[in-house]
Amino acid sequence: MKIVKRGNETVARLYSDDKLRRGLDAVKYRLLGAEIDKGLLFKLFVYVILINVAFIYIKPILYMVTTMVKDAQNILDPTVIWVPRTIFLGHLQHASEMLNYGKSFLISVSLASSVAVLQVFSCAIAGYAFARLDFPFKKVWGALLLFTFIMPPQITILPSIMLFKEFGWLNTFLPMVVPALFGHGLKGAMFVIIYRAFYSTLPKELDEAARMDGAGPFRMFFRVMFPISRSATVVVVLFSFVWNWNDFYFPSLFMFTAENVPLSITLARMAGEMKLAEGAGEITVYAEAIKMAASFLIIMPLLVVYLFAQRWFIEGVERTGLVE
Amino acid sequence: MKFSRKLENTTLRKLEGSLFIAPWVFGFLVFVAFPLGYSLYMSFHQVKITVSSVNYTFIGLNHYREILIANGSLLYEELFPFLRESAMMIPIILVFSLLVAILLNLRFPGRTLFRVIFFLPVIFSSGQIVQEFIAQGEGSLSIMETLRIDYYLQEYVPGAWAAPIEKVMSSFVLVLWYSGVQILIFLAGRQTLPASVYEASRIDGSGPWNTFWKITLPGLVPYIFLNLMYTVVDLFTFPSNPIVSRVNTSNYGSSSALAWIYFTIILTFVLVTLFIYSRVDKSLSGKR
Repeated sequence: MKIVKRGNETVARLYSDDKLRRGLDAVKYRLLGAEIDKGLLFKLFVYVILINVAFIYIKPILYMVTTMVKDAQNILDPTVIWVPRTIFLGHLQHASEMLNYGKSFLISVSLASSVAVLQVFSCAIAGYAFARLDFPFKKVWGALLLFTFIMPPQITILPSIMLFKEFGWLNTFLPMVVPALFGHGLKGAMFVIIYRAFYSTLPKELDEAARMDGAGPFRMFFRVMFPISRSATVVVVLFSFVWNWNDFYFPSLFMFTAENVPLSITLARMAGEMKLAEGAGEITVYAEAIKMAASFLIIMPLLVVYLFAQRWFIEGVERTGLVE
Repeated sequence: MKFSRKLENTTLRKLEGSLFIAPWVFGFLVFVAFPLGYSLYMSFHQVKITVSSVNYTFIGLNHYREILIANGSLLYEELFPFLRESAMMIPIILVFSLLVAILLNLRFPGRTLFRVIFFLPVIFSSGQIVQEFIAQGEGSLSIMETLRIDYYLQEYVPGAWAAPIEKVMSSFVLVLWYSGVQILIFLAGRQTLPASVYEASRIDGSGPWNTFWKITLPGLVPYIFLNLMYTVVDLFTFPSNPIVSRVNTSNYGSSSALAWIYFTIILTFVLVTLFIYSRVDKSLSGKR
């Protein structure tokens, strides 16, 4: 009898031990997971890092937007840091007047989009030739392509200015647009390299099949090759558009006295004017708010484009392999 | 007969290829090769621009001597700190973007949102806007002041390096802003590693830590070097860097010489990178 009872106790103790261990195991499993990267702790770690970095990226935008809608009262009120009490749109209006927004916006859009379209076509053609066609001295040209990629534009900028002056192109958009037509222009070499990387991943059978069906080289490119490179095209279009939109260096040197300038230049001119006013003793609490409003006006179109394009863009990045 | 037809085919193919590459080659000759040669020519000359014409007087290596030896303040006081700064920024950018790319490649809820946010720097970092943010002090870390790191740096680090370290740390956020394209490249590269390899290593009982060092990192070596090259080129051609802003229209001859000196430095950097890459690549493929 006694023995049986003791046995029962042991069993009970064992049982409770077992339960405890199982409970601990479950907790451990939850926290650490079957493998480290499946557990709760790891996920927490990932989120902490990502949220922190995401905050770094978003903070300037938040700052920009909140500063720009503050009126004098809110700017001077020390309790207002992030959220203004009232929303004031006067700065936006003022900034858009100073930037000459309507006109400059149209100029920027037409310049950036025409360069982007031209670069897509010309770089796709060049990249296709580098990846899948044969031509004399291909290796030499390939090396020169890489050379163009690493060459800083500053080294050719002065002769280019003289060249374009000779052509009578200064203060027009031609110095930006015409090189793009030939697969150069802003970071053109990089786009050629992206296309080359993309086209060299396609199977050889594709050419053969198209050739057997009697497609000539041009038809093959425009009907077969170019349409299937959609993912590369999305990446190139977005990069090209954004970089040309933001570019300050080329327009500032090629069209420094022009009337009709893109937004990046008008922003720089505006900043110069404001500095001048500040130097003359005209100190205003609005300066920062107006600057932020101007910055917002310039980025906003890009943000809108990006919000619409991001799905294809991310897909495109994943599928292109982007680079070699 | 057969031979000649084959020959014809290859010439035909070459002709097609030439036709496709012709625009690019033309563009290269006009917009790259010609200005390049011309700037080299100008760097050996005193260039005088008058209303009607441009006069060149040959002065040999004088511009180079002026920049390198006689009046070295620009090179040694601005370029060298900048180089030291980049030498530190580049590894930070690479490690950070690799980390972020690997995290973004994991599957977790909200991944798309994070990806959208993390590609934002691609949009901003190229523009005037970043300059604006730097001016606002958005680039700095407040830890720097609260922990008085600058003080310790000056105490314990040799002078030539303390200033660049301080500058990099104080613009640390900016460094993160510069890594947008690099994150993209790493993410795209990570997608090229086949899932089957990861599965196999899991079945063999390898943990994520080992998998990273033994599979992910070696697989990403080409992308690391591509990113290295991109970062070098990007940093060195950024319009706000001290040398680039000196290349201006005030003195064509000496500006061209400066640009060439600068370019030689970049080229050395890139060639060293490529050399190391070919070594690493060889040693890795030897192991395989």
